[in-house]
Amino acid sequence: MLEAIARVIVWLGLGEVLMRLGLVPVPGPVTGLVLLYLDLLWHKTLPDDLGRLADRMLALFGLLFVPAGVGVVAHADVLRAEFVPILAAIIAGTVVTLLATITSLVLIRSWARRRKQPSVANLGEADLRA
Amino acid sequence: MPDPSAWASLPEQPILEVGITVLAFFAAVRLARWSGNNPFLNPTLIAIVLVVIVLNVTGITYTTYLRGAAFIQFLLAPTVVLLAVPLYRQTAVIRASGGLIAAALLVGLPTGILSAVGIAWALGASRTTLLSLAPKSVTTGIAVGISEAIGGVPALTAVLVISTGITGAIAGPAIQRWLRVEDDRVTGLAIGIAGHGIGTARALQISELAGAFAGLGMSLNGVLTGVLLPLAMRGL
Repeated sequence: MLEAIARVIVWLGLGEVLMRLGLVPVPGPVTGLVLLYLDLLWHKTLPDDLGRLADRMLALFGLLFVPAGVGVVAHADVLRAEFVPILAAIIAGTVVTLLATITSLVLIRSWARRRKQPSVANLGEADLRA
Repeated sequence: MPDPSAWASLPEQPILEVGITVLAFFAAVRLARWSGNNPFLNPTLIAIVLVVIVLNVTGITYTTYLRGAAFIQFLLAPTVVLLAVPLYRQTAVIRASGGLIAAALLVGLPTGILSAVGIAWALGASRTTLLSLAPKSVTTGIAVGISEAIGGVPALTAVLVISTGITGAIAGPAIQRWLRVEDDRVTGLAIGIAGHGIGTARALQISELAGAFAGLGMSLNGVLTGVLLPLAMRGL
């Protein structure tokens, strides 16, 4: 388990360093995610410990956002000035984004299915049903 | 002889703040499960409400709480890195779904920015607010950087990003049920693109496939928006 934790911390640390040096415009955790993914692809194996660590931590993913959410309540005064446009943009904007993405993907999927050429559209239908 | 006052400067153990957070989340998860994972009873949102109630009742200040709960927030960074694991497990499906993933980003990325900015603009929001809203669907760390680069207020953006994530985590599964979306890749991509990490946390409860595609949507949307939005703003 220690090895799995070390592996995560090393890629995360490298991601942080690359960002602070200005070599990548992305925060450390996102670079770390990409680096760990490439590392796994390179080695072509997922150690049991790393898999277990990921399952345990990701089951608690929602918990880790609770302090940030409480911070939103604490800083709610930054929203007061333009509360209505902001609230509308957040709620309606997010719902519109979800609806637009989901409906267009569903349409594209049924189009590919009608064409019976899932491999051409590269939509992975065959793999999903397998 | 070490200076004894050095001990006094050691930070207090944040057991109280961590404890409140963990217990609130535990209660929230129980409630969500009892409701059959009703999308509107999102565990993260309920836990936030419970913590706020406890803080108000006990008189613990937000500042004290947030200092103690920083320990929990620290775990966020390595956990985001661990999203590589579901991604790796779903590599075969991801490789075969390039077209679907590209289509999701082509629709979701601009819609996320334009819908928020458009709605706020129509309702008369100021230019600073519009610029702070633009990266709202992107994961916090990237969004704050974008906001700074295009002339928004990073602190406001952070608040907007978290609120967007909670909205996406609630609305995503609700829309999935309403439209009877069977393909978890579609639901995952949409939730990850619209609602970043908080959405991804919720998508992982639907299935590992949904979680992997949400993590993928979140990462690609974050990186692409981080590169494209400042460039597009410079062109305007």
